Amino acid sequence: MTATTTGILDILGPVMIGPSSSHTAGVARIAFLARKIFPYPLLRARVSFYGSLARTYRGHGSDKAALAGLLGILPEDERLGYARELAEREGLAYEIVPVYEGPERYHPNTAVIELWAADESGEKSAERYIRIRGASIGGGEIRLQSIGGFEADLDGSLDALLVLHRDEIGVIAIISHILAANRFNIASAVSHRKDKGDEALLVIEVDGVVPAGIVAQVRELPAVREVVYVPSIRA
Amino acid sequence: MNWKFSTASELFARLDESGLDLPAYLLARESFYAGKTEMELREEIARRIRVTKAALDRGIREPQVSFSGMTQGGAAKLAHSESWPVEDDLFRRALTYALAINEVNACGGKVVAFPTAGSCGIAPGLLWAYRDARDAALGPDHPRFQDAFIVASAVGMLIAARATLAGAAGGCQAECGAAAAMAAAGLAWLLGEDERGSLDAAALALKNTLGLVCDPIAGLVEVPCTKRNAFMAAEALTAVCLKRAGISSVIPFDEVLGAMKMIGDSMPSTLKESAEGGLAATPTGLSYWEKIK
Repeated sequence: MTATTTGILDILGPVMIGPSSSHTAGVARIAFLARKIFPYPLLRARVSFYGSLARTYRGHGSDKAALAGLLGILPEDERLGYARELAEREGLAYEIVPVYEGPERYHPNTAVIELWAADESGEKSAERYIRIRGASIGGGEIRLQSIGGFEADLDGSLDALLVLHRDEIGVIAIISHILAANRFNIASAVSHRKDKGDEALLVIEVDGVVPAGIVAQVRELPAVREVVYVPSIRA
Repeated sequence: MNWKFSTASELFARLDESGLDLPAYLLARESFYAGKTEMELREEIARRIRVTKAALDRGIREPQVSFSGMTQGGAAKLAHSESWPVEDDLFRRALTYALAINEVNACGGKVVAFPTAGSCGIAPGLLWAYRDARDAALGPDHPRFQDAFIVASAVGMLIAARATLAGAAGGCQAECGAAAAMAAAGLAWLLGEDERGSLDAAALALKNTLGLVCDPIAGLVEVPCTKRNAFMAAEALTAVCLKRAGISSVIPFDEVLGAMKMIGDSMPSTLKESAEGGLAATPTGLSYWEKIK
């Protein structure tokens, strides 16, 4: 058995608006991280609930929680209760879809967040779409298990850099060199590629907060297509 | 320092190596991983304990009535009841506080999931009841009171590592059952039990709730959840009474977790927070789907 990484404040927490840590707070956190990963002006959003969430999301306010997360509201914030009204005020078009028969491999509490972003002219753009699958595994703890078609395992406990890059020799080495040169410790680095030489997603969890200037250095690398910085959801 | 453990026996080994007691070890560990000082961590723990107190006060002061109508200010009724068949102040407060906090949660108020929202009244309810009934010197800023919450957290960490804290994965044994075990350990610690004694009290409580199903009516965290918080505070208190009398669990804590995991895995999904079985599937239970549309 692997050693537990859970801490005191994971169990004594989160501080949250009721009624469910897994179905309210966890869902808000999944959507919050999804929005951080896809930081573009949103055209619309689709939230699909699987398993227990599909059957019980109304009573748990999971729909409000998901909208809150998409609006950058964390589980502790009282505004979570009015997220539907806030979404309307912000002009966020959304649909909530319960999926009663989901894939067997999905966790029993799964939310899939799909986001579409406007391009500069405000029109719908085929390039700007992402699908993120998150599992709410209990007590408000979550795992993002799929990000934009790549398998993942991100729990939001640490700040993370998500780097979309061409799968070629040396990219990971250069990025870790940039972080090391600026004295950032890499807690984990996992690369997921679609195929050899194809696109790959590198997920780097770091101790501490990486300044925007260093993130920009990574973004400027020739093989790098996109970088997003995802802050920790821990208090 | 070695910060790795996944079972109670490994945790005890870490404590023996380090010479620290359980709260000191876990604070040092968290300080290492989170990059915060132990004082910062204690301040955050105190802040969260204060949130539990605010919920407790609110649940008693303002009768909590939920959208579904299933929650009808139970804690306020208990607090003002003149028909208690039991005289003990600790017992009465434990039931009232646990219910108060959880009714606030059911009505969409602010709480601290401990370990989950559906079970958030049990451990804080019991620990605050002890404070108010027996030891007014305790409180959010008192290290011993914080330590009781830390010991309770340790039980939650071990359950999460070996089994689960999600009703959807393990039934209510993983939520209210876990919370009762945590509450028992926290109170046992306050009463002077050491790590092993506190986890033994947790084992006593946990064994009594193995197999407990999660069958919430209309999928809401209300029935049977809120009243169960009161019942479980009483169970945790029972476990501590047994432990203080020198009664130990025959099955060690780690092995109880193994049983809990096995039982949770073999429980049908209809009884794991899907709102498809048990109380949720009764005629009255089913009628609430219509009421909340």
